[in-house]
Amino acid sequence: MKILGISAHYHDSAAALVVDGVPICAVQEERLSRRKHDASFPAAAIDWCLERGNLGPGDLDAVVFYERSMLKFERILTSALRTFPRSWRSFPAAIKNTLGEKVWVRGIIASYLGVPREKILFTDHHASHAAAAFLAAPTERAAILTADGVGEWATLTTGQGVRRADGGTAIALAREIRYPHSLGMLYSTFTAYLGFAVNEGEYKVMGLAAYGRPTMVDRVGKLLRRTADGAFALAPEYFEFQTTATRSYSSKFVDLFGPPRDPHDPIDLESAEGRRFADCAASVQRALEDVLVDIARALGRETGLRDLCFGGGVALNGVANARVLAESGFERVFVPPAPGDAGCALGAALYADRIYFHNPDREFPDHPFWGPPASGDELARAAREDGLPVDELLDDDTLVESVAAALAAGRIVGWMEGACEFGPRALGHRSILAAPHARETRDRLNRDIKFREEFRPFAPVVPIEAADRYFDLPPGGARLARFMSGVFPVRPEWRSRLAAVTHVDGSARVQVLEREMAPRLHALLDAYGRRTGIPVLLNTSFNVAGEPIVARALEGYSTFRRGGIDLLVAGSTVVAKRAVAPAETTKESVGWWSESVAESGGV
Amino acid sequence: MAATRGAPLDRLMRPIHGWVWADADRRLRKLLAFAEVETDGGRDIVRAAEVTPDPLLRRLYLEHAIDELRHGDLFRARGAALLRARATRGAGRLAGNPLPGGHGLDDLRIDGEPDHRLLAFLHVAEKAAASRFTIYRELVDDDPETRAIFEHILRDEVFHMNYTYTQLTRIAPQRYRRHIWYARGKRFWNRYLRIAAAIAGIFGSAVLSAIYFLVLPPFAWLAKRAERREAPGWSARAGVAPPRSQY
Repeated sequence: MKILGISAHYHDSAAALVVDGVPICAVQEERLSRRKHDASFPAAAIDWCLERGNLGPGDLDAVVFYERSMLKFERILTSALRTFPRSWRSFPAAIKNTLGEKVWVRGIIASYLGVPREKILFTDHHASHAAAAFLAAPTERAAILTADGVGEWATLTTGQGVRRADGGTAIALAREIRYPHSLGMLYSTFTAYLGFAVNEGEYKVMGLAAYGRPTMVDRVGKLLRRTADGAFALAPEYFEFQTTATRSYSSKFVDLFGPPRDPHDPIDLESAEGRRFADCAASVQRALEDVLVDIARALGRETGLRDLCFGGGVALNGVANARVLAESGFERVFVPPAPGDAGCALGAALYADRIYFHNPDREFPDHPFWGPPASGDELARAAREDGLPVDELLDDDTLVESVAAALAAGRIVGWMEGACEFGPRALGHRSILAAPHARETRDRLNRDIKFREEFRPFAPVVPIEAADRYFDLPPGGARLARFMSGVFPVRPEWRSRLAAVTHVDGSARVQVLEREMAPRLHALLDAYGRRTGIPVLLNTSFNVAGEPIVARALEGYSTFRRGGIDLLVAGSTVVAKRAVAPAETTKESVGWWSESVAESGGV
Repeated sequence: MAATRGAPLDRLMRPIHGWVWADADRRLRKLLAFAEVETDGGRDIVRAAEVTPDPLLRRLYLEHAIDELRHGDLFRARGAALLRARATRGAGRLAGNPLPGGHGLDDLRIDGEPDHRLLAFLHVAEKAAASRFTIYRELVDDDPETRAIFEHILRDEVFHMNYTYTQLTRIAPQRYRRHIWYARGKRFWNRYLRIAAAIAGIFGSAVLSAIYFLVLPPFAWLAKRAERREAPGWSARAGVAPPRSQY
């Protein structure tokens, strides 16, 4: 069967294609449209998936949307009614927004693809998360936990998944916590309060938390009450996300935590104000972790299972994931490479295949590389046209050795290989790599290449064979770190030599790499280890602040030309930067002083 | 050059611009809005560099994009400095969604646009921006640092206007004037659409607000009553709905 999964309209739209039970490709719309967190209908992603699968829309057996849009509309309407009359400002905007496009999704899909309406199916939002987490995990039977801002009504669900001996699959989500009680909304509210963009800056809150102390956990406890049945509830008087689209926290929230940070003010961690913000971040982080650990522990007790599959946007919180692994009693925690809404495109397609159509379970590769490829030829052509030195058709050994030498010499490398990652993490196919040893490298990357806040940490990548030497991984830690989903301590004796990737609290969001997942990066780590004695590299996503991760070689090339990356690799092509940027001479060559503008007439 | 004097329309609008720039809060908002628009525009032009098949245009677009991104940084830094210097802090007011306006180059979709159309559009847009910035530069005489930013940007705009024009004449020597007029028309049409959409939005909001207050109260009472019966905490999940159901 050929099934197309789609997620769209809220954030991170995506499409995924599953053929005969196996994913063929999956890509976020932002990687193709080049608009970060693009939420529009993923036309480009759908087109690319069909082209990649060599299919026309008529070949599809089903198209599955990742949530039930009318149920979501019901929640929006009910929420407006429940908060009447305070919701009077948000009501017109919410209705226009929803009725404008979102509820007509069946018609939009049918008209875009030209498929019969009966081929268009829907799954529950959290069932899509659960399927993305469980059906992609190498486990027979696992407890399932999903948590995000909100789906239709659910914000957190628990249940279990089973792969039966006869090939059948079952996913049963038994319980849920419903909107407006939401861990994701709680964290997003603090994200907005701390001056970061909601749905984008949550990982900045996590990074900032390491600089603070959880001195305000009691205050967070006023917002996030625990219920007698082991769940939680948000105290509505501290939040405004139900009544206005412009501010998610109330005046009472501000009374409790102090004035919010202005988004344009830099965070000065030396100042009392900066430390207050860090303490706020640390406190909400601690509260989130405590609740998740408790819920996971209870789930473990109820199910008696050893494995946990964790999906939803909250599963991007690596610090919390590591605590869940360490304290909940589960032996293994599986977080997919795209646990957020984008991953729901793949989850919905897999759910339809296994659950709706009762197709037998199929094994498929346990990697995140489902996106568009990067072409070395394309890179070589562009670089040659711009007069940059190009090395082409290098064999793998030569390429790996020369890149390892460049890294050991302190150069920063843009690394593109094969299909790009599906999900928000760069896991070795669209990465910026650098030596992990000096703090100056981190500062240079933040300042000259990524253009982002100085407090934010970078992640390391290490071969699985050497991971335990440098990082204090608990049992199951290597699995959680496969897709960079856990934050673990760097062993104290290595922290000074891994300063660029060791966060202020001595931790790192490490990627533990198995050779089969990315053989060439694994070889590069080995080669770098032979030269420096430490087979660890700094691995950060190949993009600059505000832009999506690059997909095609030319996107990598334009990022390379604009920033401080020294060396660019795509396939078997290596391009180095010249001392004088040719762009400088371009301005001269076209004669910027020319008066020809006057010829075009007035405005 | 016309652009360095300010276009007649902009000179006509000078009192309104003066009103905007005279107030510290409005000046601050304007600078921060410019920061977003310049940055988004820079990203659009980066995209143009990535998709153009013309090597010279790729280099020029990249140079242009780097300028625009730098302008965004300059505006952002100045806005942040004014924000810090402001006597009454109003972070809460700016913390939600303070920045008006669309995305970059009038929500232009770069992919699929031929270079001649993009160059004509950029030329017209840069010229309009330069004209307006010339007026703004004069209006911030009391603020040397903001004025210096406009001076700096205006120098870049001359390059942007010139290269877009010369490259347009290179790739479309017979039809470049037509392309420029088409771009002007498109810009005018987009402006009309924005205004029309805004007016429609106001009407829509008014109708929905009327419905909200006139129709919803009894339903709101029922919804609140139902909510009171719901205990917070765990709920059992309903059974799986049929695959074709949106409910």
